[in-house]
Amino acid sequence: MISMRGISKSYVADKPALYDVNVEIASGEFVFIVGHSGSGKSTFIRLLLRELLPSRGQIVVAGQDLGKMKSWKVPYLRRNIGCVFQDFKLLPNKTAFENVAFALEVIGKSKHVIRTQVPEVLRLVGLEDKIDSYPDELSGGEQQRVSIARAFVNRPPLLLCDEPTGNLDPQTSLGIMKLLERINNTGTTVLVATHDREMVDNMRRRVIALEGGRIIRDQDRGVYGYVD
Amino acid sequence: MSINVGYFIRESVLNFRRNWVMTLGAVITIYLSLLLVGVFLATGAIVSNVVKSVEEKVTIEIFLKDGAATADVNALQTELLNNPLVGANDPNPQVRGTVGYTTKQQALDKFKKQMASSPEILDQLENNPLPASLDIKLADSHNVEALVAQIKTNPLFTKVAENPTKPEESIHYGEEIVKKLFAFTRVIRIMGIAIIAMLAVVSLIFINNTIRLAIYARRKEIGIMRLVGASNWFIRTPFLLEGVLQALIGATLAILTVSGLQALIMPRLKEIVSFLPVTTGAGTNVQIALSLIISGVVIGLAGSGVALRRYLKV
Repeated sequence: MISMRGISKSYVADKPALYDVNVEIASGEFVFIVGHSGSGKSTFIRLLLRELLPSRGQIVVAGQDLGKMKSWKVPYLRRNIGCVFQDFKLLPNKTAFENVAFALEVIGKSKHVIRTQVPEVLRLVGLEDKIDSYPDELSGGEQQRVSIARAFVNRPPLLLCDEPTGNLDPQTSLGIMKLLERINNTGTTVLVATHDREMVDNMRRRVIALEGGRIIRDQDRGVYGYVD
Repeated sequence: MSINVGYFIRESVLNFRRNWVMTLGAVITIYLSLLLVGVFLATGAIVSNVVKSVEEKVTIEIFLKDGAATADVNALQTELLNNPLVGANDPNPQVRGTVGYTTKQQALDKFKKQMASSPEILDQLENNPLPASLDIKLADSHNVEALVAQIKTNPLFTKVAENPTKPEESIHYGEEIVKKLFAFTRVIRIMGIAIIAMLAVVSLIFINNTIRLAIYARRKEIGIMRLVGASNWFIRTPFLLEGVLQALIGATLAILTVSGLQALIMPRLKEIVSFLPVTTGAGTNVQIALSLIISGVVIGLAGSGVALRRYLKV
């Protein structure tokens, strides 16, 4: 699903945000990217979304070489990648239904598809009774569920989560992680960048640890492994 | 992928409502720019009509000395009639050139008619001081200068000219009037182009600003659209439509104002300068309206396009 070979990325010369990163992630995997702030997690995610181009190296996502991709094709790449963020990025003037529907609307899906798929995915994330609530009427965990529903409504093969539980309490975070696990069980590759130690240690999944832009550890069924 | 026309229209109208102060500013700027363009175009059309009619009236007069040999005068007349510059054989009878002969008596009669209001001048005339003349009307008045140059070198002309020592003074044509008119229209045109260019730049800046605000107001939505893979054109189209909508409204207002002004001013202008054909045909008005709409849309698209390139990195 994801293949990074010899990736380096520098925003300013001589201070690489990522340096010589080699990662292979297979289809259907559940992977944590861990590391302190400034370790390169966000750069890693943004490279996968092709918001950034690497300074050196090759990235292949879903069979497409991002370095060689024409920029007008980028939107079509992103339709294959669901995205979840720490700050949810929901539109405050739209209901849960409308927020999820928006993602389908703007890629030109028909009304019929929207009417069937949106309630289905909201049911999957456990919000079938909050379908007409506005974001400010929902708790943080519920808002994050809406944002996961939006990321997943198009059934992308890859789900990227950048600090999905960063704003949530441990109990709620656990629910979100269970939800991501459920999504992973449908065959979707899930990549979670986080520094939520408890979460990583509980889940016992593959962990890629970044520090200073380098991969310092990559282990299956790993733990967070830092002492803060 | 089905193109959701309703979505785009809804979005542009919504944007319009959200930023209506800036939008109004952009509409007014486009309106004023296009209004000036329209006024200049209409004025230009009237002036060029006038110039044309004056040009058509341009004749060359060759004054003949008293007692010039009839044979020479006839020979010169025949020669001129055969000159292709005169165009006496022009297929269009409306413009076909002529070479007429005015006797001394006819010249005097004409002069008396013109001076009928001041008979004291006529009383001063003891005998007829006016020369006979050959009057040439050309099929194409642009050939005046060339024909005059040819006539001046013609030995027959030198022979019959009123002033044998300076024959070039015996030939008259309305060059001064035409030259002045052309200079006038040139000034109008240059001024017009300069002002129009300035206003076009101002309109572009205004639209640019409006679109930037619209993008700013919707930056969250745009960010999400990009995230979920909306195509670049899908994101851009509402903004482009908004620019075009502003331009169309501005252009419509400008067209209405121009035709209003015409209806108001033209009858009075005709009264004041009744000797000049100050009219613009229906065809010209349609042309002006069309060019206003087209330039409005071009300004709208260009302004939005520049703003989108700068502020919407898709």
